[in-house]
Amino acid sequence: MKIQYSFLKNFLDTKFSQNRLVDVFTQVGFECESDRDLIEFDVTPNRGDVLSLKGLEREFHAYQAKKTNRKLETTKLSLIKDRKIINQIDDSGCGNYHLMLVKGLQKIKNLDAKKRNFIDSAGIPLIHPLVDLGNYVMLEIGAPMHVFDLNKLDLPINVRFPKSNNNSLEVIGGDLKDIQSSTLTIQDQSGIQAIAGIIGSERSAVSSNTANIAVEAAFFKPETIVNQARKYGLSTDASHRFERGVDPEIQQLALARYLFLLNEIAVYESVKLYYSKSKKTKKKNVHLDIKRFNDFSGLSMKTSQASSILRNLGFDIVTKNSKSLLFNIPSHRFDIALEEDLYEELLRCYGYDNIPVSIPKAGPIIKNKRDDVSDKLRIGLVHAGFKELMHMPFVSKESFEKLNSQDWAAAELQNPINENEPFLRGSLFRSLFNAVNNNVKKGYTSIKVFEVGNVFKKENRDFVQSLHLSGIIYYHDMLQGWSQKKITYDFFSLKAEISKLLQTIGIQNAEFHPARSLSPFNENALDIFLGKQKIGIIGEIDLSITEKSIKKTTFGFEIYPEKISLSFKNPKIKKTSKFPLSTRDINIVIDKSFVFQDVEKVMSQGAIKNLTSFHLVNTFEGKDIPEGFVSMTLRFTFQNNAKSLLESEINRSMQMVLKLLEKRLNAKIRS
Amino acid sequence: MQIPQDLIETAALKLKSVQSEAEFFQLRAQYLGKKSFVVSSFSMLRDLKSDEKVIAAKELNILKNDLTKLFENALEEIEGRSDIVKLDVTLPADPFLVGSEHPITKISQKIINYFTPLNYQIFSGNEIETDFYNFEALNFPENHPARQMHDTFYLNSNSKSEYLLRTHTSNTQIHAMLSEDLPLYMLSPGRVFRCDSDNTHLPMFTQIEGLVVDEGVTFGDLKGILIDFIEDFFNEKMDVRFRPSYFPFTEPSAEVDIKFGSKGWLEILGCGMVHPNVLNGCNIDTKKFRGFAFGMGVERLAMLYYGVTDIREFYSSNLDFLNQFPS
Repeated sequence: MKIQYSFLKNFLDTKFSQNRLVDVFTQVGFECESDRDLIEFDVTPNRGDVLSLKGLEREFHAYQAKKTNRKLETTKLSLIKDRKIINQIDDSGCGNYHLMLVKGLQKIKNLDAKKRNFIDSAGIPLIHPLVDLGNYVMLEIGAPMHVFDLNKLDLPINVRFPKSNNNSLEVIGGDLKDIQSSTLTIQDQSGIQAIAGIIGSERSAVSSNTANIAVEAAFFKPETIVNQARKYGLSTDASHRFERGVDPEIQQLALARYLFLLNEIAVYESVKLYYSKSKKTKKKNVHLDIKRFNDFSGLSMKTSQASSILRNLGFDIVTKNSKSLLFNIPSHRFDIALEEDLYEELLRCYGYDNIPVSIPKAGPIIKNKRDDVSDKLRIGLVHAGFKELMHMPFVSKESFEKLNSQDWAAAELQNPINENEPFLRGSLFRSLFNAVNNNVKKGYTSIKVFEVGNVFKKENRDFVQSLHLSGIIYYHDMLQGWSQKKITYDFFSLKAEISKLLQTIGIQNAEFHPARSLSPFNENALDIFLGKQKIGIIGEIDLSITEKSIKKTTFGFEIYPEKISLSFKNPKIKKTSKFPLSTRDINIVIDKSFVFQDVEKVMSQGAIKNLTSFHLVNTFEGKDIPEGFVSMTLRFTFQNNAKSLLESEINRSMQMVLKLLEKRLNAKIRS
Repeated sequence: MQIPQDLIETAALKLKSVQSEAEFFQLRAQYLGKKSFVVSSFSMLRDLKSDEKVIAAKELNILKNDLTKLFENALEEIEGRSDIVKLDVTLPADPFLVGSEHPITKISQKIINYFTPLNYQIFSGNEIETDFYNFEALNFPENHPARQMHDTFYLNSNSKSEYLLRTHTSNTQIHAMLSEDLPLYMLSPGRVFRCDSDNTHLPMFTQIEGLVVDEGVTFGDLKGILIDFIEDFFNEKMDVRFRPSYFPFTEPSAEVDIKFGSKGWLEILGCGMVHPNVLNGCNIDTKKFRGFAFGMGVERLAMLYYGVTDIREFYSSNLDFLNQFPS
């Protein structure tokens, strides 16, 4: 809501500067800022009652600790009930409906320049003096009004929901809207004449020929109006107020004010005020227990101070005893229902900044606090030279399908920001590919990046989110420094990187097995297992999946931190041997249908005496090795806890090793 | 026999100026070779009388030993010296990549690090949420403009409950209050979503929410911890202002501004005393327990902290931008 400072200043009868007023209203809870000679208020949705000069005046006076007594000048009329004018109103959406019929209007002139300026600067277009006047009274008092051309109405009026959908209505301005049965409407005998609380129809709008008018002031319930304006793409000043709530007891006052001001701009022959009202709502009362309030706030406010603050805001005391006060809630404060609501009124008028501050308190000690796996992995990756990235989770259908298997059902948005990206990601790789591509374009030749974030999946009627940690290694050119030392990064560098990462955070027993499901990797990929639980995958990126955004060999990994639970058990530390290690190398030739993992498996199964470890020294294919076979040099390490091993003991163990390899892998010894 | 007194000193002096092994061996031949004084003197011993012979032989042996030791030591030194290739140690290091956490992670961590020593437990929560946890249980009346203010992303679903992307981390409060024992001191960092995108708003951003439910909690406690946190975060005394605001799940509600240089008052977080409807909905005895809650936008704090002017930079994957945040 935009209000002209000069107009507001006169209305409030104050000498406060524009900045001072902005400050005061901000302090009592109405965020606002200056825009040239205007003050723009950002009123919270619970305080529709402040969307008028009168509302601002109440708050301003409460801030100054005085009660608002000033009354606006009005021309009062008595109320007439007549079903030939207003037949029926729907109680569920309409609290009261007033129609003031003014006939024989003549010599209609414009509102004075000050008022016109005020309306215009509030962002409300000037249309016709009779309409402008309605808008002026709305800005002044807060009651939205509508002016019909009486000659174009076929009375009586009914306020009701249409019986069926698809009622075409040309609203003011000429747009055609299809009115649904869930929308409250103002109907005359010929059909819909207005959407309640939002906009009137073009058909019954006032024009330059208008001489008889029906001025509507009504209370429509917020729950009836909210969402309607949005539905029809018609956000009006009236709907803005009705959605937030309008004082249900000011309609008669608003019409009396309209009539008073009408006298200034026109002459008329007759005026009558008709109304229809649903059952009166009970007045609300709320208790205030001052001790409880002081306990809640940390203040020690006296009862007299509290009741004076509340009285200035229009809350009247109903009953009073030593412990508590009972306050009557004024009709414009539909936001107040609980004692805590009164606490807020007291605190904001007392000034939040005047409330004393206490020293921060700690909560109870947290037992069995666990390390966060993704935090540990993140730190490990940062130390290994990876940059952390973050991306939006919205993806297109195509890129989703490229990265996720068919049994992974997408979580789809009803209202995406970009209609080409309606899906929530099922993988973090799409954004990582783009990140690599964009930075390669800028000239980066070596990139290690990762992201930690949720991916989403639809499962039956529910949705599942899982935390992924995915990374990319694009390692080219630049890493050859001035020394021309060759620094390369291949699949086994990746395997080392991830093995080291896992072991560093305390996972000693991860196993790597050739991967089953591949995307976005090519066949050079490994699943990572912890027991039977798959905790990740590493591999070479299938460049075709990157949609040509990456053109050179790239590696990637995906880890599922939620699947990893770090052990709490302390390791049992064994006594170390004082005796020397002995190593023996052998060359074996095996059929390539076996892989190195088979060698490992065989060795882990045979209980070879004194063998502490073995590893692969090199592999060789080619000269002297038959096609389809591979030669491997294996180094075995022996040690005993109690003595130095004799040559004969080591030889015996080696014999066992050879026998095992021959028997299980059909390995041949190569001299 | 006359033995020159300064033989050893001269040899030692000459050895000091030796530059290469070749020079060394040349010098050694001069002092210990066949034609050297020491070696040739031994052959002259037989010409001496027997008692003189004994004394001279003894002296010569001592001399020879000393010389030998001198040359051995010198050789060791020269050999050692010959392994050293003098480097230009000012040449650059081998190339390496420096990793770093995302600035949003860093700021989140900085915030978390204030609260964890006060035993605030961390809950991360669901990003896809039902209407119940995101709105209803947080006292958002159905069809209330407060819901519209949240610009919610809704999901296509054939379920009875309406699914959405959480618009704030406050949903985690409800889960925690329903499942945890009291008193509860918690923090919930995470991503939240609003269907809104322009220069200053992103459809996804990061929030950190705090909640305390305990006996005797006051509005003064809320003010106290937030002012202390803000001063800890910016590491200086700050002008902090609390002003009334509205959130359906707190009553009273406040927004907190800090005075930030020439920019004047800047809003940095929202807070309030937990609304009794929210506590009652989580079966918490409001006669015994009260609570306060606060929530802050991490991007906004990161922008102030680092002086970043365009919020979109955080999600641009621009390494030139990210390289400026050291690990």
